Amino acid sequence: MLYHYIYLTTLIILALMLFACLIRAVRGPRVADRIVAVNMMGTMVMVMIAVLALMLNEGYLVDVCLIYAMISFLAVVIISKVYIGVYEERLHRTQSADDTAADTEGGMSDGSI
Amino acid sequence: MGAFEWIRLIAGSICLACGLFIFFTEIFGIFHFRYVLNRMHAAAMGDTLGIGSCLLGLIIFSGVNFTSLKLLLIIIFLWFASPVSSHVLSRLEASTNENLEEHCTVYPDLQTLEAELAGREARAKEPDGFEEKGGAL
Repeated sequence: MLYHYIYLTTLIILALMLFACLIRAVRGPRVADRIVAVNMMGTMVMVMIAVLALMLNEGYLVDVCLIYAMISFLAVVIISKVYIGVYEERLHRTQSADDTAADTEGGMSDGSI
Repeated sequence: MGAFEWIRLIAGSICLACGLFIFFTEIFGIFHFRYVLNRMHAAAMGDTLGIGSCLLGLIIFSGVNFTSLKLLLIIIFLWFASPVSSHVLSRLEASTNENLEEHCTVYPDLQTLEAELAGREARAKEPDGFEEKGGAL
């Protein structure tokens, strides 16, 4: 019974800190801020799943936690790579448009993130 | 409960509480720093030390079985994965930020950095013999 209360307290504290992470993910001024916050949320959810695995006495939830770790890592790497590619392509297109026709482009090249 | 059970409970609780404190420090750093590359320093701490300490507490609670072996596997996987994702994120920030010079010093190539470091070392050795005395102590 004592273990149950320890697990419950841990889960409540982690849930509160998860909300703080979510605030940073919403407010973050740059894209990298949001990805860092989402990565932190993934880490905390991993701890929550591991605590639940011991609390409910279900061993297979630890497997879920391991898969979650791998998918979270993969998501961060792929989102970063895709964003770098999109940014460079947009930059290249803007530069080539500037070179060829300086006055014919509209609101395409504002460069906002 | 016997003495061993009490020791297991207390040791596991201390490890779990340390992990939660490190997560709290991570959140504090995320809100305290001003720029992403500084925030990343605080955020990378929880990926290895925070979850490592938390899962170590859970391993102590769980005892010797397959569940604790899988928890250890998660810790080892995150030791490898966390530096890689931090590197990729900092590369994303460095390559998409146009005015990076406002936040940190940017060297255009390696020769400039090496020349500046050599000059700084020469300036540190130059003044008088205080450094040698401090080094000997």
